[in-house]
Amino acid sequence: MTQDKEAARARTAMLKKLREEHKDTIEHTRVLLKKQQEIRRIISQAMKDGAGTVPEIAGASGLPAHEVLWHVTAMKKYDLVTETGRDGDYYRYALVEEASQ
Amino acid sequence: MNSRPDPNESENPMNTPDLKVDALVVGGGIAGMQSALDLADQGYRVALVEKEASIGGKMIMLSKVFPTLDCCSCITTPKMSAVAHHDNITLLTTCDVQALHTNGNGGYTAKVQQNPRYIDADACTGCRQCEYVCPIDLPASYDLDMGATRAIRVPFSTAVPQKAIIDIEHCLLCGKCEKACPTDAVDFSQQPFTFNIETNAVVLATGFQTTPTDAKREYGGGKLLNVIDALSMERLLAPTGPYGHILRPSDGKEPESIAYVQCAGSRDQSLGVPYCSRVCCMYAIKQAMLLSGALPMADITIYYMDIRTFGKGYEQFYQNAKAMGIEFVHGKVARIDEDSEHNPVIRVETIENGRIAERTHDLVVLSVGMLPGENLGPIFDVQPADDGFAAIPDPTLSPSATGHPGVFVTGTASGPMDIVDSIIMAGAAAAQAAAYLETMRSSVAAGPTAIPEVAHV
Repeated sequence: MTQDKEAARARTAMLKKLREEHKDTIEHTRVLLKKQQEIRRIISQAMKDGAGTVPEIAGASGLPAHEVLWHVTAMKKYDLVTETGRDGDYYRYALVEEASQ
Repeated sequence: MNSRPDPNESENPMNTPDLKVDALVVGGGIAGMQSALDLADQGYRVALVEKEASIGGKMIMLSKVFPTLDCCSCITTPKMSAVAHHDNITLLTTCDVQALHTNGNGGYTAKVQQNPRYIDADACTGCRQCEYVCPIDLPASYDLDMGATRAIRVPFSTAVPQKAIIDIEHCLLCGKCEKACPTDAVDFSQQPFTFNIETNAVVLATGFQTTPTDAKREYGGGKLLNVIDALSMERLLAPTGPYGHILRPSDGKEPESIAYVQCAGSRDQSLGVPYCSRVCCMYAIKQAMLLSGALPMADITIYYMDIRTFGKGYEQFYQNAKAMGIEFVHGKVARIDEDSEHNPVIRVETIENGRIAERTHDLVVLSVGMLPGENLGPIFDVQPADDGFAAIPDPTLSPSATGHPGVFVTGTASGPMDIVDSIIMAGAAAAQAAAYLETMRSSVAAGPTAIPEVAHV
């Protein structure tokens, strides 16, 4: 039991030291994450009504199309977005929960 | 002749004692892997040191090889696996060689630093559950930033070893990965670890880099969204590519008109690169053929100064491309701009009639050249030649020897070459290293005075 407590204390101290060493990069990543979450919220809102192409999502969200493509690509990789077919030269994308309904 | 290395030693050098091997191979691309396998198959003990988290080099990123159009991954992955499982090879990833010194016995001592994965590699199963819970998406360098990855990730789907790594510079230290890991493999306590490798021979296979996409400002690379480099197109063509399709980066449109601009980083005095990179013509033709197959309705144009198809079967490959309907325009591209739809507009002077033409495409690919990779001077005392690649004192009779006994260079570390030539040269370096090792053994057997003098490195 004492050993467990000592190990936990050592781990806490180690993480504290690591956080201190990397405080600048952690802060930078935190800002990036906040911005990313906001963009994802806007993209998800634009896709709420159904599947869309990148230019359609960009038009609905007000975000640049290349930025939308990057985020949709990331969301597709991690199973948050799925491809639902084509519309001319473009593929259509839908939120996973929307596509499953 | 050798016992199998302890896998703990390969993957967790925090507990690794100093290694003693016959040959040290630096670099885990195709040339380094081939040299390591050729030496190990002859019974020599080999340590292969790779700075990245996976071996495979640039070749594993490619779609297909020319002129056979064999799948790159299908060729490279078995070699990666063979390296990882070979009884005579100790694989050391995330490692940098920091110094190389003669050891007084005719061989060398390499000081190697292993950078932490922050993962217990023995425990990690590569399940990627950690990656799925990581909150931050980052541009994936493996996909030339077109796709995303996370701060904790398995480097790519066929990575060897198939182990996660934490990019500590982008980690929030939120602990979600620790909670998600089913084997408690996340270990933030890891520190850089330095150890020594004793070796009698060294094979340097440190590879190359490509011309930066924005090197020629008039071509708009890095600024115009639909001007990409050829390595990016390789990722778009690969089945594991970022989009899963060939799409242009500005808006995800499937391109109907694609252009290649040749010599966009080679044979160009303004960039300080007077030499021919030897691969650009063939990879552009290969990509054009693959695009023809994937996008049958697309128009594909290659703007070129010369087409150089010197290898076995290469000229026929070029003729096949022409027969497939790929347009070859003999002319020098002066600049690339874009219209309001982000379509690149190429301004070219055609050599046949000397006219200036402007042509609009959906996507432009810059056939970037090969530049020297790591400078081998400071650590290995292998000085660069005029072109920046490793100097070879006798390239005709001894194409891998560096001038330091027992130190050899191979693959694109010695100059621009394609995959076929890299593999041939890797075999040559292994053969020269093996001959050197046998000479050393004979010398040792004959007595200490017979050990050849080794230059200070």
